[in-house]
Amino acid sequence: MDGKIKIEGKKYDSSDRVRADRTDELYKHIPEGETLMKIDGLRVVYRTDDSETVAVDDFTLDVKKGELISIIGPSGCGKTTILRSIAGLLQPTSGKITIGDNECTTAGSDRGMVFQDFALFPWRTVKQNVAFGMEVAGVPKEEREERAMRYIRAVGLEKFADSRIHELSGGMKQRVGIARALVMHPAVILMDEPFGALDAQTRNIMQEQLTKIITHSERTIIFITHSVDEALYLSDRVVMLSKRPATIKEIIDVPWDRPRDRASPEFTALRKRILSELEKENVMQ
Amino acid sequence: MEFKYDKHNRYHRFGRGVLITALSLWLFWWAWLMISLFAKNIAIPTPMDTFGALIDFLQFGDTITGRSAWDYIGSSLTKFLEGFLLAFVVAVPLGLILGNFKILQELATPIIEVLRPIAPIAWAPIFIILFRYNVGAIMVVFIGIFFPLLTNIIFGVHKIDKNLVDAAKTLGASNLQIFIKILVPSTIPYIMNGIKVGLGIGWMCIVAAELYANPLGGIGFYVANMITNSAYPEAYAGLVIIAVLGLLTTGVADLIHRKVSKRMGVDA
Repeated sequence: MDGKIKIEGKKYDSSDRVRADRTDELYKHIPEGETLMKIDGLRVVYRTDDSETVAVDDFTLDVKKGELISIIGPSGCGKTTILRSIAGLLQPTSGKITIGDNECTTAGSDRGMVFQDFALFPWRTVKQNVAFGMEVAGVPKEEREERAMRYIRAVGLEKFADSRIHELSGGMKQRVGIARALVMHPAVILMDEPFGALDAQTRNIMQEQLTKIITHSERTIIFITHSVDEALYLSDRVVMLSKRPATIKEIIDVPWDRPRDRASPEFTALRKRILSELEKENVMQ
Repeated sequence: MEFKYDKHNRYHRFGRGVLITALSLWLFWWAWLMISLFAKNIAIPTPMDTFGALIDFLQFGDTITGRSAWDYIGSSLTKFLEGFLLAFVVAVPLGLILGNFKILQELATPIIEVLRPIAPIAWAPIFIILFRYNVGAIMVVFIGIFFPLLTNIIFGVHKIDKNLVDAAKTLGASNLQIFIKILVPSTIPYIMNGIKVGLGIGWMCIVAAELYANPLGGIGFYVANMITNSAYPEAYAGLVIIAVLGLLTTGVADLIHRKVSKRMGVDA
């Protein structure tokens, strides 16, 4: 049955969608550093009228609770496809994704997401954007306001709580995006090149702020990036992908304490090694 | 002191706009006057005669039927508004549903494409037989506004930023919540644009429908009646009122469109 490729996996409707607030509470029993999310044999095939492209093939990964794991790979290798499959925004051809004992089917609030192009709702204010998830989950208004403000303060935007999105700069927009994902306390947070649309200076500031956030709260984050520097600066582990179809080439442990020094010899040596590995996977060749 | 035009000064810009508009209207007035003097045809009255008739009409009403100008204008505007409301109430939910459900849209598209190119006014004789004068005219306005509004809304639903839908999904919104909290607000600028286009067409429709000698009719009937009675300056006065009201409706619609688009965070 698996011999013939079934392009679309099982279809789920929105009644399967996890809507709850604070889904991280569901997995309190799993200790720090143990496997929280299992991605097993993920395979994604795109089909057009006359061709089939295997975008991701046999991607298997255990994500540990409380870690920041980044996925890097040559451009066009299917990083975003993997993340969208994990988020449930794209139905994989085959493969299974579980958090704890629960299988992830469709997208839901247990996997919060930060988008590269921010994906903020332009007709809502900053505060209303951050409160959106709590609003659909049915959190009472006072609690919503209070928690939204707490996270807006945490990302340093309290002066802009009632501003509209078009009044903000790129870095500020993404801080709203991060607050909007964090405030829901999802079991896992997915970040799809969140700083990719920002200039180099803003990017460094955002990386530092994210480091502060993850050292103060225990969050499990899957982070997509094409910057080796960013991956090494932020993550506990780095997953290196091959060119298309994406499979795992190597998983690298990053042992250093945070905040990290980008100029240290170990840092540069490791970056150099990963870059040369990626060079071999360059799709242009 | 020497005056220098500064294009970054809003008062200068406004003053320049007023001057240019005044110049344009002045040229129009002269062109009209010249044509009427040279043509020597009673069907082209001079602007002076026309505005004289306009002032008389506004002051004393229609001497033939004894109805006041405001009665005519009110009659036209009421039917126009009713036709618009009917189109709005039908087109907005229908457009949102058709845009959202592909199969329904595929089924509806051939029907829409067959009906849409028919000039709204071509329906007028049929509607007047079917619904009588009053509702018939309303239905002509309805048809005129309905199609631009509907196609704009369907277009707007398709233009929705898929990323926003994805973001809502990962925040746990159900399909119904996505419809209400994401789809509807992001379609509003397109609805407004449809209204803007529709109002212009609708206003043309109401006047045209009234030309079908509607005895209860509004300003369009007045124009038709005056022409039948060879009272050309009076007929032209009616046309001036039609033009001014048309400008006002589209002006108001344009203003609302811009405000709403800004509020919704979309460029108008």
